[in-house]
Amino acid sequence: MEKRYTQTHEWIGLNDDGTEGTVGITDFAQKEVTDVVFVELPKIGKKVPRGGETAIIESVKAAFSIYAPMGGEVIAGNQELDSNPALLNQDPLGRGWIFRLKLDNPGEYSSLMDEKAYNAYLSDGGGQPGHG
Amino acid sequence: MNNPVSLPLDSLHKEMGGHITDFHGFLLPVRFSSITAERQSVRDCAGLFDISHMGRFVIKGKGAAAAVNHLVTSNLLAVSPGKALYGILSNPSGGAIDDIMAYRFSDDRVDLVVNASNREADKKWIEEHLPKGVSLEDLSPGHVGFALQGPKSAEIVALVESGAPELSRRGALLLPVSGGDILISRTGYTGEDGWEFFGPAEQVSRIYRQICSVGAPFGLKPCGLGARDLLRLEMGYPLYGQELTPETTPFDAGLGFAVSSKKGDFIGRNLLLDEQGNPIHYEDHRLLVGFSVQGRGIPRTDCAISSASTGKVTGTVTSGGYSPAAGGGFGLAYVDRPFAEDFALGAPAYVRIHDQSLPIVFRTRPFVQGGLI
Repeated sequence: MEKRYTQTHEWIGLNDDGTEGTVGITDFAQKEVTDVVFVELPKIGKKVPRGGETAIIESVKAAFSIYAPMGGEVIAGNQELDSNPALLNQDPLGRGWIFRLKLDNPGEYSSLMDEKAYNAYLSDGGGQPGHG
Repeated sequence: MNNPVSLPLDSLHKEMGGHITDFHGFLLPVRFSSITAERQSVRDCAGLFDISHMGRFVIKGKGAAAAVNHLVTSNLLAVSPGKALYGILSNPSGGAIDDIMAYRFSDDRVDLVVNASNREADKKWIEEHLPKGVSLEDLSPGHVGFALQGPKSAEIVALVESGAPELSRRGALLLPVSGGDILISRTGYTGEDGWEFFGPAEQVSRIYRQICSVGAPFGLKPCGLGARDLLRLEMGYPLYGQELTPETTPFDAGLGFAVSSKKGDFIGRNLLLDEQGNPIHYEDHRLLVGFSVQGRGIPRTDCAISSASTGKVTGTVTSGGYSPAAGGGFGLAYVDRPFAEDFALGAPAYVRIHDQSLPIVFRTRPFVQGGLI
């Protein structure tokens, strides 16, 4: 799945017709977050603006807010993270996805960084001093 | 804000895969592998921590031990030469300027290890209060310090040249080397057996590398600040700036054992002994309590504690974290003194975490012996 990225180290990938997005954190972010202890998933039906705090990751190190890369309504949370939060460290770009959104404005997607731009952002120090 | 200081082991840490953070102006590894795995290695076998950010002073001159004794709450003159002692540098109101380790080598020489964040303030305070003929030398700039901690420490240190395996618990010695001496002591901040080294960068870095390699077959892991904080919190040890401040006394923090009523005069003595004898007059001082969280939540610094019966906020979390052993959140909090007594007897209370109130229960310290493990 093609993904787009935020400056706060979330990724989003769209479904086939571009109306829904799956959100997670990048590999860089999972390394910063360190061992995930649990994830506060958003309630289904919650409406979030673009950039709004949507989930919270609690790690051994600290709590990290996860922001919605695009505005929308939460339609799913990854229940597998409840029993196996380590998935977020092991497979952040795949099985460690966090929530799905029904998007308010699919057009917002094109304004996010693609993989090349995100990598350039990281090597430009965009990852400092930490996630979020 | 000044640029953070790079310490002598910095490039080695980067080679070893350390994730570096700015801690009170010093660049230090927060972790190498995982905080949980590093913590486990210290409880099961051994871990190695860079603590070069900590300050080391030498207090020298006729009557140096007596002069230091006037500045700390515990009784340095009651420990034999060659022993380390935990104590608090107290201000005249009994509040903590810092918590320190004092190593008594003779009546005329005491070494001190102090917190990185307080080094300059400590130096100034101590120098202002030293009598004529007693001086302070700051050996911290450019030095290296590390802590080897864990049940396998004795076996590992015995394999290292100049490792001082003969030291007893809290024993300390000075090993002369070119460019100064190395302070070696059987002490630590994790609750496990261990050795700490402070001295000239070149020689101490060499011992650090040697311990890394001879320790590996025992399961030794290089550890970062993340594991260090979790290990000390499991023991209920205070961290200056969180559990100890100029406004908190050793009795507030549950460190009464570090205040000697039998020794002679020391700064802060009158108010501290009054607090010990007449706690009723100090109801405005909050008390430090340990707690664990019931349910899914990790308390962090500044989370509010409230009484379930009154609904009122009665305290604030100073340190919190996740206990891998208990599978839940736990922490330390300052709570109103009358509430502390009720809470210890089982009064229900809540901690506020991300807009949710979760029940907490009182825990005795250390947590690792208090039912969490």
